[in-house]
Amino acid sequence: MTYTLYRHVEEQAAYLTQAIDSILAGAGSLLPELLLAIFFLLLVTLDLFKSKTVKRLLPWVALTGLFSVLVLLVLDRHVAEVQFLNLLRSDGIARYAGILFSLTGIFTILLSLQNPKIEKRKQGEGRGEYYALILMLVLGLNLMAKSVNLLMVFLAIEVVSIASYILTLTLKEEKRAVEAGLKYVLYGTLSAGVMLYGMSFFYGLTGSLDYTLVSFWRSLLEASPLMVTVAAILVFAGFLFKISAAPFHFWTPDVYQGAPMPIVALFSTGPKMAGIIVILRFVAAFADPTIANAFSDVQLFLGIAALATLAVGNFTALWQRTPRRLMAFSSVSHAGFLLMALLAFGSDYTVSVLFYMTVLLFMNFGMFLFLQMAEDNWQVRTLEDFQGMGPRMPFAGIMALLYLLSLTGLPPLAGFMGKLLVFSNVWEAYTSTSQPMLLVLLVAGILLTGAALFYYIKIPYYLFLKRNQTNENLVISLSNKLLLVLFALPLLVFFFKPDLLLHWIEKLLA
Amino acid sequence: MNYTLSSLIFLPLLAALVVLLLPTRMQQGIKAVTLGGTLLQLAVAVWLYLGFDGASVANGQTGYQFVEKLNWIGFSLGNLGRFQIEYFVGVDGVSIGMVLLTGIVGVIGVISSWNINKNVKGYFLLYLLLMTSVMGCFLALDFFLFYLFFEFMLLPMYFLIGIWGGPKREYAALKFFIYTLIGSLFILVVMIGLYTSVIDPEATAQQMGLVGQNVPASLDLIRQMQQMLQQGTIAEADMVRTFSIPAMMEPANFIPGSLLHVFSGVTLFDLPLRFVAFLLVLAGFLIKVPSVPVHTWLPDAHVEAPTPISVLLAAILLKVGGYGLIRIVYPVFPDAGAYFSTFVGGLGVLSIIYGALCALAMNDLKKLIAYSSVSHMGFVLLGLASLTNEGVNGAIYMMFSHGLISAMLFLVVGVIYDRAHDRMILNFRGLARRMPAYTAFVVVAFFASLGLPGFSGFIAELLVLLGSFSAPEATGMLPRWMAVVAVIGLLLSAAYYLWALQRMFFGKYWIFPELREKAIISDLTKREYLMLVPLAILALLFGIFPHLLLDKTGMSVTGFTELVLRNGQEQLNILQAILHK
Repeated sequence: MTYTLYRHVEEQAAYLTQAIDSILAGAGSLLPELLLAIFFLLLVTLDLFKSKTVKRLLPWVALTGLFSVLVLLVLDRHVAEVQFLNLLRSDGIARYAGILFSLTGIFTILLSLQNPKIEKRKQGEGRGEYYALILMLVLGLNLMAKSVNLLMVFLAIEVVSIASYILTLTLKEEKRAVEAGLKYVLYGTLSAGVMLYGMSFFYGLTGSLDYTLVSFWRSLLEASPLMVTVAAILVFAGFLFKISAAPFHFWTPDVYQGAPMPIVALFSTGPKMAGIIVILRFVAAFADPTIANAFSDVQLFLGIAALATLAVGNFTALWQRTPRRLMAFSSVSHAGFLLMALLAFGSDYTVSVLFYMTVLLFMNFGMFLFLQMAEDNWQVRTLEDFQGMGPRMPFAGIMALLYLLSLTGLPPLAGFMGKLLVFSNVWEAYTSTSQPMLLVLLVAGILLTGAALFYYIKIPYYLFLKRNQTNENLVISLSNKLLLVLFALPLLVFFFKPDLLLHWIEKLLA
Repeated sequence: MNYTLSSLIFLPLLAALVVLLLPTRMQQGIKAVTLGGTLLQLAVAVWLYLGFDGASVANGQTGYQFVEKLNWIGFSLGNLGRFQIEYFVGVDGVSIGMVLLTGIVGVIGVISSWNINKNVKGYFLLYLLLMTSVMGCFLALDFFLFYLFFEFMLLPMYFLIGIWGGPKREYAALKFFIYTLIGSLFILVVMIGLYTSVIDPEATAQQMGLVGQNVPASLDLIRQMQQMLQQGTIAEADMVRTFSIPAMMEPANFIPGSLLHVFSGVTLFDLPLRFVAFLLVLAGFLIKVPSVPVHTWLPDAHVEAPTPISVLLAAILLKVGGYGLIRIVYPVFPDAGAYFSTFVGGLGVLSIIYGALCALAMNDLKKLIAYSSVSHMGFVLLGLASLTNEGVNGAIYMMFSHGLISAMLFLVVGVIYDRAHDRMILNFRGLARRMPAYTAFVVVAFFASLGLPGFSGFIAELLVLLGSFSAPEATGMLPRWMAVVAVIGLLLSAAYYLWALQRMFFGKYWIFPELREKAIISDLTKREYLMLVPLAILALLFGIFPHLLLDKTGMSVTGFTELVLRNGQEQLNILQAILHK
């Protein structure tokens, strides 16, 4: 009796040591997240001080945090893949994604510093909260990119979502912001619930939450197809919501219209990239030859979603009259392109996806910076308000043109390279699998690029082609000018020398 | 390495940088820099033309002169091997004429822009960017590089029409942009398909270590590589895929199993995929040519564009379409080219007749000339589709000659528009009495365009007709009625030009009463002489001494037709199985 008890305790102890060992072994890989959490707490604490100097320092503290994470990730020497329990995996993808997310956070704060509404309003209360939440959101994004466990995915998505809900409401005295915030919370919680429900099905069917394991998928294949389909649709509803893909994109235009501009820029990049990486990990599980032939169902399902997203995004954007809503649907269409890139299975698509996301980051932030300037300084609310402004601010006008052409995907800008890589991968995949879905996607993607020109060109059209009575020059602050260049330069560099970035991504993934 | 071609491409860009740095108010300085830049470009183009050895044999894949080849972008995609994009430029008989033409028209365009006074800096910046991209297009031998320049032409053009154009300029600019963008997207699809299907044997040999890095591979080694590729003994990871157009012309460079390989057996709409790809690129370039039924952007763009931009558009931008067909479409898809020759020739004849009939119906002098461009570009298609030496030489000659003559025609329209702010044919009569010198140049331009012997247009039309007449026997392309119908097109062009001449210039002097207040009807200025005289002389020169250009193009064209006919026949035989299923 005592002996068995002793054995039992011993076993438990052994298990515990093992668990602690593996936690300790993996903990090092979570340094960026820990750093973010520490800076988050620091910001919240500093926010308690009433001193104006401290308040003024808050964004810079947040920037320091993000910048140190960025440096940490870029310089990180050890390349090996580290798994933290069976929850989080720190591999090349997660590391590169972490770099992108840190940049996203940095850019968001840089945009916020240029935003008079946020800066003025936040002199007093809530200033720390705003910047702290951005850090929190970046932390959530990092976790999303590292998750290999359904529950962890859910938790990470929730961290991101809750931060997003509050950030949407930053300017809560504006009616639009309140409407956007409410819609976002309602849709968001619903989709989270639906996703969780679907995950519970998965758990019930497989007894596991580790979706990168082949055994997980094998037991799904053995289960009743109807159940699996229902569960998959429920889970993907949550993912598609996060990347604002059709038919779960309805929140996008409203939130983009109500949230402050830096936050819109953040939404159009960060959560979208993280969501794509979650789906990428899902899809990558099918690389195992024993379940590879089940991929065609997933491909069909995601292919339809990608097609719908591309079509909805591009065609709805044609009818938009405000730049914010136009960019909302543009961001939907880019979600479609990213989804499409994931389906080029059999080709080396990860590099292309990461490349595309990098380009998306720069062009979206550039465009939103331009819109923020136009909105706050010159009260531009609709596309018509841009009328004749181009010659009055040639520099910013040309920068906007660069971003828009890159978003369309025209050379000589990196947006073209991103699309070229995605299309090439899809073509490759079609060559090796002859899946008709891929050909349909390829043709739709290319033709919709033509449609995209129609709406993106509207802004330069009003800027330069339409004339205005006044000719006085519009003044742009030096910091804004520098930021515009900061976002435009990579677009040119990554067109003329994309291999610089591609090689680096490849090295990280290896 | 010789940097002649790079200097041709980047001289205007350099001038653009200088313009960018000049303060906005130095309008004369900006104009002078632009003129200097284009004059230098012309000088280099002439030097290139003189230095080009027309006797050296070019067979489509080799024989390019002044070649510059640099690695530009290279990346490996895991198990898919390497992808390689090169800065690869060169000139052969097909492009030499276009390069010279671009140089000439570039200078004329700047002189014609001299009285632009709205946003001068922006205008000349865009103008120089346009010159760089057009020149790049004619010299690029790497498909990616070509596509880059091809797409980049759209942007300056969009703004040049959209900002400096006429009353409906926004509509015309957008229409132009959308049409050509759709065309270039078609080309993009095929470009992706091609570069994932084609390897560069030399670079692959270097990758496999059969020859040292940067060491040129011998011809034997290249053949050996191509054999190994076709036998499937080269590992996927060793293949270096390429955008090089000459590499795409060689069927042995296609990877077995790739979709565009002759043996792939893939069909779409019951056509081999290669044929579908051909039709896509064909459509892409036909929009640019433009050919009926995708020509509708052209009259709008021409009518709204300012005179110098109309000149550039007609004289060189349209040529990119025809040039693309000769440089890329036919050599890369010779099988489809032979198979669809009647279709392409038919489109050519349709353009000739339809364009001429439209021109006949126009009241706006500029629209008349725009439609005459459509009609003349039909000859390019017809000559090309014949795949005879005469026909293809004629097509190239037509592009060159039309470049000179259409520049003159649009300048002539600009002259009357500058004076009367109107160009409706019926609003003028008897202009010859007030503007004798102007009328003389109009007569020269019209007669040169309708193909009077002694002018370059005559040589071009003659060659095209000879080629298409002899095509049924010589190459088995084109039914004979096409050449006959094309001759009717010549008659029609005589009709619309002479009728316009008669209505506007002869008889008693009269202009529409409402125009009288603003119109200052005076004869040509010095600046206008400066533009029109050289063009008239050149049109005559190339009409009397056709060998000036034909000597340069001849051997390259022979190489081109041989390549297309030989490969086309071989591949068609293979594809027969699919076609007759």
